[in-house]
Amino acid sequence: MTADLSCYGASVRGLAEVVADFDLRSPMDVLAWYRREWQSIADLLGFPQQFARVVPREGASRTAAMNQAGVEAFTAMLRAERPGVSANQARVQMAVLERMIAAGRERGELWRIVVDATTVPGGACYDDAGRSLRAFHADTAAGYFGAGWTGPPPRAESACGWQTPLVLHLGTFPWVYSSRLDGPGPGARWSSSDVLPAALGLQVAASLMDPATNLQQDARQVAAILDHFISHTAALTSRLPIYQSGQAELGKLHRRGGLLYVHQGSLHVAGLDGPRGRIAAPAYNYILRRFACFFAVRRAALRALATLPAEVQRGALTSSDPCLRQHAEEAARAA
Amino acid sequence: MKWRTLLTVTGTAALAGGAFLYGRRASAAEPSPGPAPGQPAPGQPAPGPAPKIELPPLPGPADVKGDLSRNWGETPLDLRALFLLMEETSRIAGSARIFAGIAYRESRFVTTAHNGDAVGEQGERDASLRAYTNNRDNNPPLRYGEQAAAFGSGGLFGLLAPYFLWTGVPEVKASAPLLGAPPELMFQPRASAFAAAVYMQRILKNYRVDDIPDIKAGWASPTLLTTGRGGESYQDVRARFLADMKAVGIDLADATIPVRLDASSWPGVPAVFAGLVGALPKELA
Repeated sequence: MTADLSCYGASVRGLAEVVADFDLRSPMDVLAWYRREWQSIADLLGFPQQFARVVPREGASRTAAMNQAGVEAFTAMLRAERPGVSANQARVQMAVLERMIAAGRERGELWRIVVDATTVPGGACYDDAGRSLRAFHADTAAGYFGAGWTGPPPRAESACGWQTPLVLHLGTFPWVYSSRLDGPGPGARWSSSDVLPAALGLQVAASLMDPATNLQQDARQVAAILDHFISHTAALTSRLPIYQSGQAELGKLHRRGGLLYVHQGSLHVAGLDGPRGRIAAPAYNYILRRFACFFAVRRAALRALATLPAEVQRGALTSSDPCLRQHAEEAARAA
Repeated sequence: MKWRTLLTVTGTAALAGGAFLYGRRASAAEPSPGPAPGQPAPGQPAPGPAPKIELPPLPGPADVKGDLSRNWGETPLDLRALFLLMEETSRIAGSARIFAGIAYRESRFVTTAHNGDAVGEQGERDASLRAYTNNRDNNPPLRYGEQAAAFGSGGLFGLLAPYFLWTGVPEVKASAPLLGAPPELMFQPRASAFAAAVYMQRILKNYRVDDIPDIKAGWASPTLLTTGRGGESYQDVRARFLADMKAVGIDLADATIPVRLDASSWPGVPAVFAGLVGALPKELA
């Protein structure tokens, strides 16, 4: 089986340049691939030292152990930094996230979760010195992940002024908002001194690199967001020179291996300015890499489907995603 | 670009201060008129185009021992290891975050920030020309001195080109490592970091520095640490520095930063150059 994912659209093919494929049946390959991807996450989110210190636990599967180690390292960084939000806000964020994640799992849509804010704990509002404020940004304008929201308002009146649904893109956590890619990922600030919703956010993003969770996610949702992202950034990146060793211009943004790169300068002060706002260069790289990882794991999982647990195989065979069903049927016939 | 305006306004003071510091150490002679910028001095052959120099890339987390998470605020993640390597190499404990605050002011963390490459930046070119003509007779020759005179200032720490190239002369005389290098080398962050570390050491060793904001006052102009102490400019620079640190999100009261910095363990210019830059190509060394 080729595990060709062209059924999800042409954008997916272009991601192969960003993240290499791997073989889930090869323990060495799995270890190297997950270590590389987590190293990249740690570098871009600022916890490489913590990641260097963690050791994946024995006993769990290699993928689960690596994901757990990565989240632990991220958590250690959050604890070392100053809180990003108040305790009240963090508590509400955590409760809302837990509810949203449960709903997302049920629907097979963890990548982007949309809920009516008035139906989640606290109405997604928190108390700030007697004022009721929204616990998350109302992210419904047209952005890099979608064309914006035009649907009905919340069913109930919101104490903190929600007029639109609550939308979070957890697949690209901490860049969870379609319209806020211009700086550090907003989700990385979701931490108070005792509650760390940010750790849960990254845990969800990492879970999509787990083969079983990856197969439960409706890849059509991911592909649609990817298409949107590519269609609104391709023109911006195509203007950039391709990096060539020995010929690169100092401090300038280049394209290198499908990602952005600054030679002898900081990637973190660079960005792309487009009609839908600025995208910080690290945000672009991180987001593109999340898409690439998702589809690399999907390909790996499909190639190794026969070796995955029976319930995972059954889930693929009964998926509402025709592309996944077709691959699963082919795998079953070949077995 | 935003940083250009900022540097034009604020960077000049810092660089003029550098001129004074340098002048006190290296020049007692009258300024002499020089050739036009970009032209070789009489009797000296033109150096020709500078060879391309490729210093090692920015240091990474594996290159440093210190903490890259705590009390860095919004300092770009991929520059933190450079600032920490400056601290560890220069053995000035607590200086990494101060370097970060200074880089924020001087370049907004843009490693190729350049003041002097635009029509409206004549002031910066004038400053580098003055720096060169006022000091060249009392210092080892610069292979690319005329280019430095016409260059203006720049890099991560907003250094005036002639002073950047003369970095280390008071300490090691004609063995200073950048005498044969072109001014564009300052756009490579390791080279700029070397010059900034040497400069920090000079301020700490030669002036009364009561607290951290005094370092920035000395960076702006060492006279602010002597005759200008307590004056309006002194207070302004200190206040601006404190505002910068707040803007970046670095807490000066945090345990990661001592109340006063100490350069008594400075290992010397050659060791700092080796630790931050490595070696230049043979033809430039």
